[in-house]
Amino acid sequence: MIKRWLTGLGITAYLGTLLFGIVSHAANYQDGSHPSMYFIVWDMFCGWSAYENRTHIIGQGVSGKFYELSPGPWGDYQPYSNISRHHYDSFNQNPQTIAVNCLKHTAHEPMTRLYVVEEAWAKKYNLPDSLWQQRYSEPKEPYSYFHIRTVMTPEGQITGNTVPWLSYQTNFTVFDNPRLQRESQRSAPMFMVRPMSQSSSPSAN
Amino acid sequence: MNDTSHHNANDPSPGLRARIGTFFFAEETPFGLALVRIVICVACLLVTMPRWIHSRELYSSDGAPTPLALNYGYPDLLPIPSAGLAVALMTILTFCCATACIGWCTRTSLAISAVLYTYLNLLDSISTMTKYSVITSHVLFLLAFSHCGAVWSIDAWLRRRRLGLPSPCSLANHPKFAAWPRRLIQILIGVVYFGASVTKMHTPAYFSGDQLWHWMITNVNNANPIGEWLTLYPAYLVVFAYLCVIWEILFLFLSWRGWGRVCMLAMGIGFHIMTTLTLGLYLFPITCVSTYFAFVNSEDVSVVAARLRRWKRRHGETWLPYFTAITGLPRAITGWTTRMLRPAGLRWIPASSLGVFGVLLTVVSLGAVEIEYRLDIYGERGPHGPLALKEIDPEVAQQMFAGSKRLREYDKLLAFDIGSSMFGGMITGVRDTFRYGESILAQCTLSPPHEDMWLECNLHDANNILIDRVGQIVVRSQLRGNFLYRACDALEPGTYYLVLRTGTQELTRRKIEILSSDEPRCRLNAN
Repeated sequence: MIKRWLTGLGITAYLGTLLFGIVSHAANYQDGSHPSMYFIVWDMFCGWSAYENRTHIIGQGVSGKFYELSPGPWGDYQPYSNISRHHYDSFNQNPQTIAVNCLKHTAHEPMTRLYVVEEAWAKKYNLPDSLWQQRYSEPKEPYSYFHIRTVMTPEGQITGNTVPWLSYQTNFTVFDNPRLQRESQRSAPMFMVRPMSQSSSPSAN
Repeated sequence: MNDTSHHNANDPSPGLRARIGTFFFAEETPFGLALVRIVICVACLLVTMPRWIHSRELYSSDGAPTPLALNYGYPDLLPIPSAGLAVALMTILTFCCATACIGWCTRTSLAISAVLYTYLNLLDSISTMTKYSVITSHVLFLLAFSHCGAVWSIDAWLRRRRLGLPSPCSLANHPKFAAWPRRLIQILIGVVYFGASVTKMHTPAYFSGDQLWHWMITNVNNANPIGEWLTLYPAYLVVFAYLCVIWEILFLFLSWRGWGRVCMLAMGIGFHIMTTLTLGLYLFPITCVSTYFAFVNSEDVSVVAARLRRWKRRHGETWLPYFTAITGLPRAITGWTTRMLRPAGLRWIPASSLGVFGVLLTVVSLGAVEIEYRLDIYGERGPHGPLALKEIDPEVAQQMFAGSKRLREYDKLLAFDIGSSMFGGMITGVRDTFRYGESILAQCTLSPPHEDMWLECNLHDANNILIDRVGQIVVRSQLRGNFLYRACDALEPGTYYLVLRTGTQELTRRKIEILSSDEPRCRLNAN
């Protein structure tokens, strides 16, 4: 009987956890509060973009030459399709780990800076030529945009970060507005730090 | 405990508590769970085997692990193993998936697999951890608590040998256990689909077909040529989008019995096949479909077994000899193993089985660590020392550092379709020839992001002389601008062009033919 009670308790706990995941996801309540939420929130294919993205992690040597830091010279790892692993780092959370690992295991001249460069192109250029001709009357001329996302020291310390390329382009679409530009220039973001204060910033934006 | 002992099966109105008790604790032979075990372990092996060689790079402190916890602001939640340990853990995981698949030390194998699979996935958020791996973790975890190794397994064979039992001549002779692990897997997959439908409800572009359209023209999952072709018919995407959401919501409620179960599972299989063909997903469908075997009950197995026996009686003499090599393989392996153990005075009993399992696991893991070390994945111990970095072509580097540019006008255009009818907000009857009196619908589809745009869809004649200019504002939140023309006898029969322009430049043009008919005169155009 105790075994059955314990089993019942386990079943209730498990179903309760699944239910919490659904409610949390539906109401956007605490759905990103802890890594464990990844196991109960079912948000497959939650995002999309009209542009295909690739990430280039590169290093600049003291000679001024640029080197590819991912994939490493020992070989490429492509988890899905024919796309290298580092391209799946959509939130740009780990370029320093990947870059430093590559430098650690290779022979190279001293580096001055490491960069993360985003490359983006309209997804319509992914269509094969036969389908392109059916949909478009113009010749297919793919065009890539490049955007420096992160600058790092050779040790992987981040010294500069910019918004993702898509946000950068989205800002343009909103910012072509003289009134908005004028008003935003009047209130440039700032935060007054008192040297003796132990408190943190009151705003996170 | 058998729930049926508490409740009379003929009781016309068992209470809710009793029905819940029967639902979870009715005893049954775990055929469905055994099938789930076999298929989910194959799915696991499809992940772990190709990644074993990359264990050092993906999961160890000697590589570039990318813990999931980092994305949530917990950088040190899990320890990162050393290279040797990571390889050993990956090897143990692969070994245990294989042994769980064949049902050898099943519970131990599943428990180890559940822990290691989850742990290693958590260490590589960018290429290993996905939602299919989460579903797999859940299923392995639930299977570890079940008796899925009681049938169709080496453990079951060993048990019969130990107890001196003959092979079960009927399905009723198999052991029975409470159904709750199977029920939890059923509920899990239903909840996964329900959660997925919530995600879709949060994504307005899903219902307009735009999200699917863009997922179908990327190979970020895998190549998907049928998906690319389907983007020529975007109205179908809207239909599929609604069907999919309806099915995902209903699955949890209708998939339990009768035709509801058949329909929901059949639609599920169809849905997952389509995700493979149109989105390039492989492991996600295999994982989800493996959980469908949890819907297999003893009656289903009886029906299939009876059909197999009937087929064997009718066609066995013709076909079975071709399968002798396969059907005789398990017997050959067990015979060989027994002969090997006999000189050592060992017999296949559970204790020796667990011992052999442990020894083999240790030997395989240590051997794998040694092999991986000798393979020198990074190429550091070669004759010329570590490998040199690959230099980037200076021209390419110059392009990369040329500075960010604004979007070209043409890149904001996704499609310009001409047709005669619409469905779900999309042009359906795509064509380029119209008769007098017919409507000419032109639809411009834009890619986000774009600013508030002035779009013109102008009619030009064959000599490119502007005949009619029609424009509209498409605000930044809109992705489509529709223009309506009417072919009428104010236009001479012949060739025309519909030219799409923004405020600054021509984006594209489509050639159309207007043919005469006996339709009455009409206005030149309308919008």
